[in-house]
Amino acid sequence: MPITVRIPTPLRSLTAGEDQVSAEGATVRAVIDHLEGAHPGIRDRLLDEKGIRRFVNLYLGDEDVRFLEGLDTPLKSGDELSIIPAIAGG
Amino acid sequence: MNTLSLELTAPADPSQSRVLLIGLGGLGCPAALALVRAGIGQVSLCDDDRVDEGNLHRQILYRAEDVGLDKLDAARRALLPSARLSGTRIELVRSRFLPENARNLVARADLVIEGADNFATKFLVADACHLEARPVVHGAGIRWVGTAWAVAPLGRPCYRCLFEDIPSGPQANCNAVGVMGPVVGIVGAMMAELALRTLSGRPPRAQLWTLDGKADTLRQVAVHPRPDCPLCGSDASIQDTDESRYLLDPRAA
Repeated sequence: MPITVRIPTPLRSLTAGEDQVSAEGATVRAVIDHLEGAHPGIRDRLLDEKGIRRFVNLYLGDEDVRFLEGLDTPLKSGDELSIIPAIAGG
Repeated sequence: MNTLSLELTAPADPSQSRVLLIGLGGLGCPAALALVRAGIGQVSLCDDDRVDEGNLHRQILYRAEDVGLDKLDAARRALLPSARLSGTRIELVRSRFLPENARNLVARADLVIEGADNFATKFLVADACHLEARPVVHGAGIRWVGTAWAVAPLGRPCYRCLFEDIPSGPQANCNAVGVMGPVVGIVGAMMAELALRTLSGRPPRAQLWTLDGKADTLRQVAVHPRPDCPLCGSDASIQDTDESRYLLDPRAA
């Protein structure tokens, strides 16, 4: 069940510059595990020992997964997961 | 402590409003131009940097001959003709935005526009605005991506609901990795639009706009108040702008 994951600028160095990649998994956590296999290092940029890093947000469609079921939020084929980190610069 | 008072209500007439603009870079330049031409009552500019050649492609108030000048002086020169027509007063704040002056500067404004190039300043602006119950429009840009959103006077949600604390570890910076001029031009104009709406008494919804020039998308996502937000949550721990809170992680860029 392919999930589309939108990769933000700061993480594109891990995805060979791609702004979106496809991943598999029935939950947000499973998708991140799958992403880690294809793009080593990405999990550490998204998660720490407590869960989703404090300055990173994961959105399923237009909804923050923190307000769904967090890393256990179920996903279905065709869903779109967006990674939204804090960015500086101007 | 925050006190709910009449001060919470920004003047509904933008021509009577005072806007503090923090950061006169790729976002602050177009935002300042739009606000001055809109006839905002007073625009206060806060930046302690000088014009660098590498700024010119995106920081539209500066000309090649301004390189080496204080940004404040170059910006004032560029804005004055429009300000004379629109009646806007331009105030120069010759200081960096720091924990010791943050709350005073914010308290004198009806709305704050934050286009800073570093996380410490972004979080400091967010905290000072919340503590002084001032609305703030945040913006950021890097490479082909820019974001903007408006925070209401008492948050809920605020910047720390979305991004809880200063990121740790190495972070990309627009001076190091670059940013496309037109991207921050669009986002700076959006910030001015969000500010004008707020000052007109029609505050925008709590949503983060993200422009991705490379993916040809402009998207918005809802931002929710975090019940345990350290700044605007019911048991908020941040009650001041203590300097120690804004020390950058030594591993951060």
